[in-house]
Amino acid sequence: MTAPLLRSPLARGKDVVRLAGRALLTVALLAFLLIAWQVVTTRTTYPFFPPPWTVLQNMGTLLFSGPPSHLWLSDTARSDALPTLTRMVLGFLLGSTVGVVLGTVVGLFRTASELSTPVIEFLRSVPAAATLPLFIIVLGAGSDMRVLFIAFGVVWFVLINTANGVSSIHETQLMMGRSFRVAWWRQLIRIVLPAASPQMFAGLRVALSSSLIFAVVSEFQLASNGAGYQLVNAQARFQILDMWTWIFFLAFVGLILNLLLALVERWALSWHRAQRV
Amino acid sequence: MTNVPTRAPADTALLRVDAVSHVYGADARAHRAVSDLDFTVGSGEFVSLVGPSGAGKTTVLRILSGLLRPSSGAVYMQGQRVTGVPDGMAMVFQDYSRSLLPWLTVEKNVAFPLAGKKLSSKERTSLVSESLSAVGLGSAHQRFPWQLSGGMQQRVAIARALAYQPKLLLMDEPFASLDAQSRSELEDLLLRLRDQYDITIVFVTHDIDESVYLADRVLVLSKSPAHLVADLPVPLPKPRDQISTKEAPEFVRLRGQVARLIRSGGAEESV
Repeated sequence: MTAPLLRSPLARGKDVVRLAGRALLTVALLAFLLIAWQVVTTRTTYPFFPPPWTVLQNMGTLLFSGPPSHLWLSDTARSDALPTLTRMVLGFLLGSTVGVVLGTVVGLFRTASELSTPVIEFLRSVPAAATLPLFIIVLGAGSDMRVLFIAFGVVWFVLINTANGVSSIHETQLMMGRSFRVAWWRQLIRIVLPAASPQMFAGLRVALSSSLIFAVVSEFQLASNGAGYQLVNAQARFQILDMWTWIFFLAFVGLILNLLLALVERWALSWHRAQRV
Repeated sequence: MTNVPTRAPADTALLRVDAVSHVYGADARAHRAVSDLDFTVGSGEFVSLVGPSGAGKTTVLRILSGLLRPSSGAVYMQGQRVTGVPDGMAMVFQDYSRSLLPWLTVEKNVAFPLAGKKLSSKERTSLVSESLSAVGLGSAHQRFPWQLSGGMQQRVAIARALAYQPKLLLMDEPFASLDAQSRSELEDLLLRLRDQYDITIVFVTHDIDESVYLADRVLVLSKSPAHLVADLPVPLPKPRDQISTKEAPEFVRLRGQVARLIRSGGAEESV
């Protein structure tokens, strides 16, 4: 076997150049598309597609026109944008935590897996959005209900991926821990969970995107605030520009949160990425 | 751990295997892997377990380690019946890429089993440094296992076992996936460490040369179900040398004897 030594500085330099090149290309492509969009929409009179620049300007006044003491956040930002964000994050965290815990149990124990698989397969086949009416009837139309609804929607992605990751851990890794009489909780935290983390993160990525979807969907019904609520309201009142503004806002939220998770993953799985190079 | 010395630990045996058999599965699909195994390993001995591929050598080693409970019979370490992994035992696996944790640095891999021992962090650090130096990896503390060659990774696994300060070291074909050069280097390293640390070693291999070159005693196992075919002392002088030891008539004779025993399954040259 040849020794895969540390990559030389030269190779890393080349990587930087290649990465910068790719980033430049992406930015150029996005800029081109945005400009094309802007040009086409300003030249037509079709009312349902406002120019992106107009949408961005509207977002500035709608969300970021508040006083400096409120970090420039407007009342709408504080009453609608932040609550959606909060519910989404709480729902994601709750669903992910439950998913990791249950997934680990299912992945570790054959009996748990045999007992739970039919139930999990059934529950995850139910389109989560279809359960919103039930959640409202049982739990009311409050914020807690929406958080639980989001958590229910995303738990499966994390649970199933974690269970797969845990159950496919190589036997030698587990035997190593046992042969050195490592405490069970230490085997869990230091061997099982890290070994399953690449698959766990795959689940978390899907869960994060889905938690935004479920947050918005949950605000389509019986809501009194939130981005989803403002979105359907704007549509009902034919405020096309506001409607687009909320769509843009949600797109930015999704983009930023995905980026944050990607950074966490990059840090947590650095060993995994480097190992595969 | 229960403490049932059914026979008095009269001898100096560190490890005693008493009528051990193991059957995987049950009824029609039952597979008998180990059959009526009896042997002892004295304190400070280096014993090779050699047998054909698929003989159940790994099963035997797992039973010795307490990771697997035999269907019948018992293993005693220092007179105490082994019912779980006993204290004072360490293991080196064949698959170093799995037995070392890729998310930990070399240093942290070596320190990993020490958390369960009551050591000050200073003692722990010095144990880790000492054992890494002992295997010739004194400057690799902060590397990750996958940045090292196969031979170096197995050195890390050996360092981890040494830092654990075992009385008994069980090795499951540890050099089987290494190239010839690394393999002979590690064989000699192991012999040096064994003198330096005064540990008892049970070494499983399917390589006949290796089994004779390293050991004080070679236990030859038959093909599955594994039973003991021969228990051969190796009267070769120490320190061993990759070239001169392997040229010695005694080495050549023993190697031939072990090879014939494995091929015949013990039919011709019974003990």
